[in-house]
Order: sequence, then structure tokens, then C-alpha cells
Amino acid sequence: MSLNISVHGPLVEQLLAGQFICAITNEEYFAKLQHDDVREGIDDYLKPLNRRVASNDDNSVYFLAYRDIDDPAREHLKQQLGVVMSSLLPLLVWLTYVQEAMGSDGILTAGDTVKLQELVVKTEDNPSLRQHLQSLASDKFFGSSADSVDAQAKQVAKRLVEHGYLVQPHNSRLYFTVTGKIDYLLELVRFIKDEENIPLDDYQNSQAQTELL
Amino acid sequence: MATYDDDKQHLSSLFEVGAERLKLIGDNAKVLMQGYLTGGIDPAALNERTLRRLINARVLYQPDDSHELKLRHPVTQLVAALVTDESRRAIHADIADKLVSIRGFVEGLQEAQRMGDSLRVDSQMLRIDEAVYDLTAQFEEAIYSLWHRLNSNFGFVSNLSDKIRENERAQQQIKRLIDGMSLIDFDELIELAEGNPTLRKILVSRLQQQMSAHHGSLLEVQKRLVELMTRFREQQERSLLVLNMAGFLREHPGFMVGDYSYRTQVPALVNCAAPIMPAAAIGLDKPEQQSDITQLVHTLYRELALKQKADTSSVSADALQGSVQSTAAQQAVEARQQQLKEDAMRYFIHVCEAPEPPSALAFLATEALEWPPEVWLFQVLAEYNALPRQEQKLFAITRDERRISVFNHVHIIEDLVVRFKAT
Repeated sequence: MSLNISVHGPLVEQLLAGQFICAITNEEYFAKLQHDDVREGIDDYLKPLNRRVASNDDNSVYFLAYRDIDDPAREHLKQQLGVVMSSLLPLLVWLTYVQEAMGSDGILTAGDTVKLQELVVKTEDNPSLRQHLQSLASDKFFGSSADSVDAQAKQVAKRLVEHGYLVQPHNSRLYFTVTGKIDYLLELVRFIKDEENIPLDDYQNSQAQTELL
Repeated sequence: MATYDDDKQHLSSLFEVGAERLKLIGDNAKVLMQGYLTGGIDPAALNERTLRRLINARVLYQPDDSHELKLRHPVTQLVAALVTDESRRAIHADIADKLVSIRGFVEGLQEAQRMGDSLRVDSQMLRIDEAVYDLTAQFEEAIYSLWHRLNSNFGFVSNLSDKIRENERAQQQIKRLIDGMSLIDFDELIELAEGNPTLRKILVSRLQQQMSAHHGSLLEVQKRLVELMTRFREQQERSLLVLNMAGFLREHPGFMVGDYSYRTQVPALVNCAAPIMPAAAIGLDKPEQQSDITQLVHTLYRELALKQKADTSSVSADALQGSVQSTAAQQAVEARQQQLKEDAMRYFIHVCEAPEPPSALAFLATEALEWPPEVWLFQVLAEYNALPRQEQKLFAITRDERRISVFNHVHIIEDLVVRFKAT
């Protein structure tokens, strides 16, 4: 296996850099990671760095996890979770915004395409969507101070690309593909909901009631 | 012979009435279509006579006391089928009734055969043929409608929960259709067709062939509907999760999750390691790699040279044109810089000579120099710093500073005083 590691060099490098690898970000690497022996080989190789290959529940995205969780690792994980939690609301709101704007049945999922121009046109025609985007874009996670819908949408997309939730297949064209990291995020949300016993089902009812009132 | 004439007369009157009523529908097509879409027709839209004719023709009816008129169910169904309006289309799989009538026709046929009434035999045979066709057509129509709904992803309803309801409805229809199919007892049909090859062909071989094809299609549609339903449910679950979590977080801005990372068993999803950037530089300690490195450096040089060439070639046109002006401008800037430097030097000399050395800004004012104060202070400071170490020791520089804010350590230099320290 040690021979093969040199073959997987760029793949290991991406993993080490903290990237999430799914069928959308890199089809070739993703296919490799689906093989048990490749993962085991990389695990062996990363042992001295205290890393191993991990995946989400349905194995649609791979990333590196700590092999042994020591105190510095715990501290890092704690901080990281704090960062994720602070960006969670803007991300979720963005997902509902896209769903509303495109009138689609479901929340975006890995492999879906986001056409920025279409989104901008639909948003410009609809004051409620415009406001939705405005408050979203000015959130510190997205950090846009622009006034135009176009600039706001671009800034939001840019930040989502930076955080690995979207990829832009062609630099010159404004369409984006949703990566598996979104699915990871939703799994995390589901986990938090279960873990913290957040009564979301009742919540919906109470919200509907307040709307009625 | 009398029955034949009766039949003929009956048929011709049937033909006339039918054609007349279809024409009636056609003449009022727009009003009827409006009624189909809005659910009711205002009697004022039609004149008295047409209204009566439409009611007599069983096209419209007036439910109890309401003022409005409605389309009768078969008419609504006809329109729905014509425009494949899946939300309104209903499929009746009343197979048992159809089978009873087929059985009745076969008995009539056998009776006519026994009596040697060849005309009646023919007409009965025709009826059987039609009844069987009806039976299969019903399945065909139902299957067509189901595929249509499936392929359009239930696009005729707008939201997901309606789609889920429509999908459930379609699945129930399939179940009823399959139940209906199981009512067809081929053993019985074989017995009925005993000794009549034409009947056998109609009732057994053709029907069986079509039914098995339909059965296959229904199972396929069913499978696809279940798959689609699973997807709908997943989408619904995700949407609700995102929507509700966003709502929850909005209402609880200070919400913090538990200390997952300090648990004995850290949840797998949370365990996402910090990135490591693998950095590398050229190693010069391996002589065997030297040739590779040399080559790398050479290509790097070549690339740089190419880049430079490209840069210069792109600006060369402008440069040629403006070169004369630009050198003149450059000279002017250089002259000013030189002047500034000399003025600063004069300040240092003045400090050495004057008994009460003025501050830098005071010197600027008394000498009426044109430099902006900020530039002037920078130049004095720069001049001081540029002095050789030995000479620097001869001067003491005092900065008159102001702190800009309590939050950081940025100070603004308001003025400078240079003093000559006589050794």
C-alpha cells in the first residue's frame, strides 16, 4: 500500500487541507475513497499525524478526523463547532431563500445547480425575496454591504464557495453546483436537533399559530 | 326481421340525438370550459332556451337551491380526459360490472346460435368485441394517466404536500386496478368461448395478452410511484428540518450546543480535524536532484522573461507616445523630492546653530515652506533615521504624540523637536 500512497498524493493533500471530498468536488478522488483498501492505506499513512479518513452517515462525503482525541484536538473541535454554530442560521436561511425563490419542492442537495442569474431575476421581481436576500447578505457570515441584488447574490455565492458548500465549474459562468458538504451540514443539524431535544415538530405548530394570530 | 328494423331505427335516432347534443356542447364550448375551470356557470351567461336544452341533455344541472349551474360529472370527466387534466381525472375500474355484461352477451350469442339467428349472432359478437375493448381501454387509459402524472412529477399541483397526497391517491388507484384485474377469471372465459374460435380469440388470447402487458405496466408504475414517494418524503423532511431549525435559532439567538468535543465518545460527525498545510521547498542537499532543480530554475526564468515581454509589449505603444512627457514629469517629481530633502537638512543645520531650536512645524512656518505638515514631519523623521549611527547620537529627537483611541495603541505624531547634543 505504501507504494500506492504516492499515487494518492494530491488526494491526501486535499484531505489534509481540510477539504470535504464528494462526488461533486472531485469525482475521481471520491471514487477512490469509496474503496476500503484505499481508505485503509491513507489511514495507515496518516497515523503519525493523528488523522484518519471519516465520512458522513450515508458515505456521500469524506473528510479527515482525529484518530485519537487528545486535549488539543478537543479544544479545536470545540472551537470549530462554535464557528459552525455561528454560521448555521445564515446558511439555513439561505437554503430556504433559494427554495422559495426557485419554487422548488425540496431544499438544495448535493448535485443541484444554482443559476445565479435566474436567482437574481426572481429576487428582483419580488420585494419579499429582495428583503430576504438583503438581510441574509448583510449577515456577518456573508458580509455584503452592497445595495444591489446582483452584488449581494454574488457575494453570498462567493462565501459559499469559500466554505466549500458550492463549487463553480467555470470561473466565467455564474452557475454553481451544490456539494456534499450541504448534506453533511444537514446531518449535523439533524444530529443537534436529536441531541439537544429541540422540539422542532411542536415548534412548527406554534409558529403556525403565531402566524394565525 | 322486426327487431332488426327496430334496432336500426333506434340506432338512427340515437345517432341524431347524439350528434345534436355534441353540437350543443360544441356551440357552448367557451361557457362550458369557463364552468369547468371556475366550478360553476352563471345562468345569465346563457339564454333561457339554450339553458333548458343543456339541462335536458344532461350536460348541466342546478344543485338544490343554488343559483349557479354546474357541469355534470361525465362532462367534467370528458374535458379532463381530453386535456389530460390529471387533478380532475377519475378512473373507474368497475371491472366486475363489465365482466357481467360480457357474460350476458356471450349467453345471448349462444342463444342466437342455437336459434340460428345469424344477424343477432353477428351483432352480439360485435358487442362482445366492444365490451372487451372497453375493458382493456379502461386499463390503457388509466395507465396512460398514471404515467403522465409520474412523468410530470405531479406538476399539476403546486406544493409538496399536495404532491404527496396525489401520489397516495395514484397508488390507491393502482391497487384498485390490480384488484379489478384479478377479477378476470380466464378459466371461466375459456369455458365460455368453448367451441367458438372467434370468441376464443377475443375473450382469451387477445384479452390475456393485453392484460398481462397492462399488469406489467401497472407494477412498473407502482414501483416508480413508491420511489417518487420516498423522495417526496425525504424532501419534505429536509425542508421542515431546515425551516424549523432556522426558526428555532432565530428565536433563540444565544443557543449553544452541548460540549460534544469533551465527551468520552465524541460524535463522529463533529470529529473534523484541523487542516494541515503540507509545505515544501527545494532541497539543496541532494546532489542527484541538482539537474532537476537547475531545469526548474531555468524554466522559471524563461516564464518570467516571457511574462515581462508580454507586459512591456502591451504597454509599449502607450509608452512610446508618452515617453517624452513622462520623463519630464518624472524630472519634476525628482526635483521636488530633492528640494524637500534639502529643506530638511537645513532644519537640522538650523537646530545646531540656533540657541533656542524651534520645533519642526515652527521651522516650517517661519521659513514659509510650502510642504504639507505631514509630509514635512515624515521627511524630518526619515532624515534623522538616515543619519549614520554616530551622527544620530548627536541629536535628540522628541515626538509630540497624541493617542488616537483607547482601544488600540496607534499614536499620531503632532510635531517633532530635534536638539543638538553638544558632546
